[in-house]
This record gives sequence, C-alpha cells and structure tokens, in this order.
Amino acid sequence: MRHAIVLKALVKRNFLMVVRYPFNLIAGLISLFLIFLVIFYGAQAVGGGNPAFGATLSGIVMGFMLWSFIVFAYSDLTWDFINEAQQGTLEQLYMSPLGFGWVSISHILGWLLINLITTFGMLFAMMGITGRWLNVDFLSVLPLMLLTVWGVYGFGFLMGGLALVFKQVQAAFQILQFVWLGLIAAPLDPFPLLKYAPVSWGTHLIGRVMIGGQSIFEMPASDVLFLAANSAVYFGLGYLGFKYFERMARDRGLLGHY
Amino acid sequence: MSEAETVLRVEELTKIYRSRRQGEVKAVDRVSFSVHRNEVVGLLGPNGAGKTTTIKCICGLIRPTSGRVWVDGVDALRHPRRALEKIAAVLEGNRNVYWRLTVRDNLEFFAGLQGLPLRNVKGYIDELIETFNLQEKVNTQARALSRGMQQKLAVACALVKQTEILLLDEPTLGLDVETSYELRRILRDLAQRGERTILLSSHDMSVVQDICDRVIIINHGRIVVDDRIENLKRLFQASAYRFEIEGHLSPKQQRRLQERFELLKITNTEERTVIEAEMLDPSRVYEVIDVLRQNGARLESVGRQYPDLEEIFLRIVRGEARK
Repeated sequence: MRHAIVLKALVKRNFLMVVRYPFNLIAGLISLFLIFLVIFYGAQAVGGGNPAFGATLSGIVMGFMLWSFIVFAYSDLTWDFINEAQQGTLEQLYMSPLGFGWVSISHILGWLLINLITTFGMLFAMMGITGRWLNVDFLSVLPLMLLTVWGVYGFGFLMGGLALVFKQVQAAFQILQFVWLGLIAAPLDPFPLLKYAPVSWGTHLIGRVMIGGQSIFEMPASDVLFLAANSAVYFGLGYLGFKYFERMARDRGLLGHY
Repeated sequence: MSEAETVLRVEELTKIYRSRRQGEVKAVDRVSFSVHRNEVVGLLGPNGAGKTTTIKCICGLIRPTSGRVWVDGVDALRHPRRALEKIAAVLEGNRNVYWRLTVRDNLEFFAGLQGLPLRNVKGYIDELIETFNLQEKVNTQARALSRGMQQKLAVACALVKQTEILLLDEPTLGLDVETSYELRRILRDLAQRGERTILLSSHDMSVVQDICDRVIIINHGRIVVDDRIENLKRLFQASAYRFEIEGHLSPKQQRRLQERFELLKITNTEERTVIEAEMLDPSRVYEVIDVLRQNGARLESVGRQYPDLEEIFLRIVRGEARK
C-alpha cells in the first residue's frame, strides 16, 4: 500500500515536470525526428532502386523507434541521478522509509510511462510520413520492448552510481548512447555472438514481430526466455555496481556533494 | 530524565575521512549525546566542526566509521528504513525541494515519498501553508520563490512527513533577518506545542539561544559542552563584573588587581577606565573596590555582566583551542 503511494508520488512528479517544462522533451523528440528523416531519405536515395532494400527502410523506422525508446529510458535514469545530486534532492529521496531501491524503481516506471507514450507517438509519425507501416502488434511488441529495456536500466544504474562517486561521467555516458545505436543497427546473422550483448537479441525479436509479422505467441519460448535472462543479467550486474558505488559514496560522504 | 523518554541517542559516533591529499581527517570524534522527547536541542559549532556529518550519520546518508545511532529504540545503522520512519531532515547547502514543482506539489510529493496517503495529509498541508505564510504562493514554482520562502518550503516539506524527529542543519543560514525571525518563531511555536523533537545545528548562537532548551557545543569533531542554556548562562553570569571609574588606575593598583584576579580585563579611554573581572565568589567585588579606594577613584558604575551565548561559546571554543 505504502509502496503504491510512493510510486504514485513519483509518477505524478515526473508528469508534472514534463508538463511544466515540455520544451526539453519536445526539442529532444524533434531533433531525433530530424535525424531520422535525414537517414531514412538518404538511405532511400542511395538504395531505393533495389527491391530488396524495402526491408532495410522498415528496419530504419523500427531501429529509430527502439533507439529513441532506449536512449530516453537510459538517460532519464542517469541524468536524474546527476541532476538530483547536483540540486540536493537526491538525499531527500534517500531518506524515504520505503528505501531508495523502491524510489528509483518508481522513478523508472514513471518515466517509462511517459517514454512509451512519446515512443509510440513518434513511431506513428515516422510511419505516417514515410508510408512504411510496420506490424504494431502491441501484445507482442510491448512485452519485448519492456524486456529489452530492462537490461538497459542496469547500465543506467551503473552510470548513476559512477556519477555519485566520480562526478564527471558525461563523456562515458554519451558514448554509451551510440553504443546502443550500434547494437540496434548491427545484424545478428553475421555476428551471432552479439546475442549475448545487451539490446541486440531484443532488437532481433522485435524485428521478427514488426517487420516479419510474427506474434510473440508463435516464437519459441526459449527465444523470449533468453531475452529475459540476458536483461536480468545486465540489470543485476548494473544494479550491483550501483550498490557498490553507492556504498562508496556513503563512506566518503558524497551523496550530497557534487 | 528517564531513559524511556530518550528518542535519539548517538553513541561514540566517529567518522574518519581518508583522502590522498590530507590523509586521515577526523570529522566526528567519539560524539555521544541523547535527545529527549519533545526537546529542542541545538548543535552549535563553527564551520567544519562536524555538525553536518553528525546529522547525516543520523539520517543514514553518511556511514560512520564507528559508533551507534538509536532512533526511538531502533538501531538506525542496522535498520535505516525503520529509523527513517521517524526522521525528517532539512540539509544545509541543498535545495531540498524541487524547483520545477509548485509549493503545493512539493508538499504533496514529500508526503507521498514518506508513504503518507494524500487524503490523510491534505488538511495538514493547508495548515502548513498557512503557518509558513505561503498562501499566495501555493501555485508558484519553487524556483520563483525568494530564498527565504524556499527555505520555509523546505522546512514545511520536512514537517509534512509528520515524523517524531526533525533534524535541521543550519536552517537560517543565508536568510534575510525578517525570514530568519519568522522561521525561528514558527520553530519555537512548534516546540512549545510539544509535538516534535528537534535537533538543530547552527553556527549562529542567537538562533540556538532563541529556540533551544539545551545546547551541545561541538568543535573539531568533539563535544565540548552539553548543558541547558540557562545553566550555561548562569555559570558565566554569576562570575562576571564590570567596574567603571573616572580617571586611570595607578600602576600599583593595576598590579594588585592582576595579582588577585586571574581573569581580568582593563580598558582605558581618555577619561575613564573599565575593569572587567571574573570571580567565582561574588563577595570578591569588595576586594576590587578596596583596591580602587586607594587613590580615591570615583566609581561611575558597577554591574554584573550578562554575556550572551556567543561570548560563552567563543570562550569555550578558545579554551579548547588552547588545550
């Protein structure tokens, strides 16, 4: 019950932040959308004549949707760690009797809701403008996206923990954003080992739904379970890393000093 | 006071920071004290004395090197969450509140963060808005408030959690005089109603003198004094006298006074001399007068001195430094 109250408080706070300052979010979405248009029409101009290229164009739409989803999810978590430590609200979050673990999960869920709304909004905008309609089977796509992003949150936690102790992590943080892009874009066939990397296997499965037209119920259970296990491992490792740095920050009295 | 009434107990708290540049720094050194239910205790000390570290160790934000913290019978270092049910804090140098949220949003958020259902705190939130005189700013974002109002909001956001214990780290630092007094009045009212136990840190004696029942003076990470404010004042008041005479003392008189009184201060102006002497036995006033009589000095005034806490504090801190 009290957990629900904390969850509600954080979901509401995040919505209020977006409503009060929609500019950041809108600017982010617009710039992503512009990059998308350049890449999409650039690719079309280069490979348009080849009939086999159609699948690639659909792949660009899907990849972009996923990238935006993942980058927002990951940066919401890490940036908020950094910002809240700088502003001095992080220590107040740490003082919730429900525990910081639950507070940060509530925080993630709050942003996730907003992120899903904007991601699908952008997906439909991309599909509408380019005329490339993908198979948006929510029942299949949503669980796969959530399972994929779960692992990414591990990295969000890890970077957040690093930021608590080392403060200057912006560069590493930004590099990771492009690592996600690479992992989404790299095909699994020539690099089967990528399956063990974060995000790649999830992208592959989502592609099978959105481009291949498969339903999650038609997939072998082991395929979905592998995704869950992959994300669980990355999330677990990231969270452990975070706890390690958090303990270090408490030892050195760094939670409130930025 | 009986043990049962102790709501906060700090035992042998020590925090050592290790850094490559400075080596080991003892921020807090075997600090022990208790705070009783509904008591208002001031943690007084210069900057860097260890006040903030002590408070943050109580809140679980800093892990002490050794020592224990008990919050209403709960071992706060082992069960921080259970302890945090009873603690709210306003920390120094922080915003403590969200700048993008309005006054009401902030109050509702921090109640929620404590796990309090909104319908149960709505009435109290209205009450707090009135107490802190924030009615006209209810829908204003915190970033647009004055510094004083932001601080009032931060204290209100700590109160809204309805915890037994309130920790305030330098609550009046950087405030304008008016808001500082307003905040003191609010805290005093709160204390008088006997609803909360407050531990407040400050380097400003007048704040402590105004609000607190008891003062713990801390310097270089150690407790120097832990006593009721009246006792501290009495200790010094009883022994300080001030004499003012026309003209000046002869060298012989000066010497005789200096022989008799260890703590003596003689200030000469053009026409007058002020003699300040400390004595444990008030009848020694006559010894001073006997010395003054020798050249028929005209006594302008004799009076007991009433030092404020600031003076007491400075003496204690200096005394500590001499050791």
